[in-house]
Amino acid sequence: MSDQTYLSLENLSLAYGKTTAVKDLNLTIRKGELLALLGPSGCGKTTTMRAIAGLMNPVGGKIVLDGRDITHVPANKREIGLVFQSYALFPHLTVFENVAFGLRMKGVQGNELRQKVEAGLKSVGLLSFAERKATDLSGGQQQRVSLARSMVVQPKLLMLDEPLSNLDARLRLDMRSELQRLQKETGMTMIFVTHDQVEALALADKIVVMRNGAIEQIGTPEDIYNRPATDFVADFVGFENIFKLRDGKLIADGKEFALGAECPNAPGLAWRPGMVTLGEGPFSGTVLGVSFAGNIRGYVLDTPLGPIRAEVDAARPAYTLGEQVAFDLPVASAAPLHRVG
Amino acid sequence: MIRRLFTPLTLFLMMLFLIGPFLIIVAASFSAGETLAFPPQGFSFRWIIKVFTIESFRQSFGVSMFLAIGGTLAALILGIPASYAMSRYRLPFAETVRFLVSMPIIVPGIIVGLALLRYFVIPVGMSVTLALFVAHTALILPYAVRVVSASLANLRADIEEAAVILGSSRLGAFFRVVLPNIRGGILSAFILGFVTSFNQVPVSLFLSGPGVRTLPIDMLGYMENVFDPSIAALSSLLAFLSIGIVFAAERFLGFSRYV
Amino acid sequence: MFQNRAEGLALALPAALFAALVFLVPVVLLLSEGFRNADQWTLSAYVDFFSQPLNRTVFLRTLKLSALVTLVAAVIGYAAAYAIVSLPPGAKGRMVGLVVLPLMISPVARTYAWIVILGRTGIINQALQAIGLTDEPIRILFSETAIFIGLLQLFLPLMIISLISALENLPRDVVPAARVLGAGWLSVFWKIILPLTKEGLVIGGTLVFTGSMTAYITPAILGGSKVLMLETLLYQQVTVSNNFVAASVIAFILIVMSFAANILLKRIASARRSGK
Repeated sequence: MSDQTYLSLENLSLAYGKTTAVKDLNLTIRKGELLALLGPSGCGKTTTMRAIAGLMNPVGGKIVLDGRDITHVPANKREIGLVFQSYALFPHLTVFENVAFGLRMKGVQGNELRQKVEAGLKSVGLLSFAERKATDLSGGQQQRVSLARSMVVQPKLLMLDEPLSNLDARLRLDMRSELQRLQKETGMTMIFVTHDQVEALALADKIVVMRNGAIEQIGTPEDIYNRPATDFVADFVGFENIFKLRDGKLIADGKEFALGAECPNAPGLAWRPGMVTLGEGPFSGTVLGVSFAGNIRGYVLDTPLGPIRAEVDAARPAYTLGEQVAFDLPVASAAPLHRVG
Repeated sequence: MIRRLFTPLTLFLMMLFLIGPFLIIVAASFSAGETLAFPPQGFSFRWIIKVFTIESFRQSFGVSMFLAIGGTLAALILGIPASYAMSRYRLPFAETVRFLVSMPIIVPGIIVGLALLRYFVIPVGMSVTLALFVAHTALILPYAVRVVSASLANLRADIEEAAVILGSSRLGAFFRVVLPNIRGGILSAFILGFVTSFNQVPVSLFLSGPGVRTLPIDMLGYMENVFDPSIAALSSLLAFLSIGIVFAAERFLGFSRYV
Repeated sequence: MFQNRAEGLALALPAALFAALVFLVPVVLLLSEGFRNADQWTLSAYVDFFSQPLNRTVFLRTLKLSALVTLVAAVIGYAAAYAIVSLPPGAKGRMVGLVVLPLMISPVARTYAWIVILGRTGIINQALQAIGLTDEPIRILFSETAIFIGLLQLFLPLMIISLISALENLPRDVVPAARVLGAGWLSVFWKIILPLTKEGLVIGGTLVFTGSMTAYITPAILGGSKVLMLETLLYQQVTVSNNFVAASVIAFILIVMSFAANILLKRIASARRSGK
């Protein structure tokens, strides 16, 4: 494992003045991996990224990139690329000059410069825009310029801050596949920061879920989606029915409820709405809300366990508001949580 | 009827009052007569030409130009880093710094001039030229800080971070990325500072010595003694100079965006 | 990258030190002179100053003229600003430009023009004699009237500009709405326009008032050596009487007025930022 490690953060601690933002963070990334830092705003993901880039000095811990301790290396010597959420293009320069900036800093000139910039612009499909003012382009185009600007210098690590959040829905899909393509083509190690679990699941090889300046769970998209380690992660990836477990019984509203089958030895269990069985089972509840969403129908039930959210095939006959419905929380499909609260 | 006339009539009277006197001065400067009068007696360029022949005007024009250009440059050299610090850093004592650099706009100029005379020129022997320079620099500082701060506020801080990440040093990032983008603001600050300094009277009142006197002070002295149209001619020339500069600035820089 | 506060302070320090050293220190020293008498803190300079009839006259004249200029500027300013705001956009821009234009011209030049107009052989006197209202030229120059006119012309643009921006921020259609509800023009002004543009009026008024209080050129040129205002009195005290203590007293009065006005303006600005 360790000889494969490309970037490692060891006990990294970050603070703004006296406010701690990240505490004792440990994380390793392998070469060529596409890692997502996922979490709600204020969880420390962007701060972590800024520290890796060298825009902020850690109060403790170590950052090692490609075998070299870069903790105290200034940002301009780290060879790390960063695509800012705002793109941060230089307003006074053309698209060409924006992309050429980093190369010029490395002393690349003349034909070599032109070739490299044009290759970079070509890879993001903006070659014909080379002489435009960078800030005259649309948001999506600006992002591609920013991406090309960061990639032409062939950084050891490319980081992207919320790369899709400023784009509209269609552009978002395009950009997603473009990022994947570029990563596969170049084999570049990438980290991107996002608050959107859908993005993280779709793009990343590995996801780090953060909360309050600490790591909540690290895993593959499948791990995170199917086997959330904590109630926080479960909630974040769409498990809407989450319960504590004590002595094999569900705890809700201070009362214990026995489930139909034997429970695993875990502090909690979680079900997605689609995992709840409606129409049969040991529990029952009153329909509080119904919402139709194409192929499925969603329900909110008022039950002794508290509100339960369920989704069933929309082809089945609908329950009406106020109707009593039997339901089950099948233990077999539930995700066992390792930590609750 | 009255309502329909209200707008044009009001505007006409207002403009007559605001601009009219200035037009009279312009007309009077082309007079052929010996004394200042309106309507002017005849038409000639003699007073316009005479202005250029008066030695003391030439000298004081030089002093005023030196102060306006030098003082503004000095104010920018002090003011740009200060504006940068105030807009980018969470500064300790931020309010104190802000208060100090904006104070010269609040304290009447005559007091500044007097204070410098009494505590620097007389006891320490500071030269009048230096005192004038210092006073004009201080006077322009608040304008420089205000205008430069406004254009820094319109520039995202992360483009500098982007430049640094792409391999530029901190200082290099400032010169390559920040400066080119606030150039308009800096030029506007320069013009505002220049005009303010050039037209300034009270600060310079007490600060004059042999051969060292600003142009407006020289004009005040001249008009007390001589009642010919040369002051009118000089006033017109200066006014057109100021207006010309400001117009050019508006045209090429969009001056009013910054001021 | 910008977390290093010491670095930030180092950048701001030259300007702050410069202002403190060449500005704050000498001004504070000058002001302190008015409160000291042979190593003792005292108010005697102020008692002396106000015990002299001339000083009292000048002080009151400065207050009176400043107030009068402010008041008249407000009245004219409302009419002018209202007329300008009702113009179509292009004409409005040009008109605002014309109002601002005089601010770029040297106040010496602007004030000097009034000598041509108000002097013994000036336009006004020529006109009065021509229509036979008077045989002798009447004395307008070197009087309070002349100073009043000069100050009004100098500072009116500031009032107009403040009121233009206030009037432009007037909610749309409130004036027609009030008219439809049967209000006459006078009550529209008192009940609608004035309350809604109060801030602009205070801003413009403060600028005009402090500008007039601390004016030097206008009273120097149009008031002569007899009709003094505070700044011309200060100048005389120093150059004629060599009385630095009296100068310090006047300086203190001027600074207090200036600071008071500035604090008022800051209050308005911050109240506006926080959404009223």
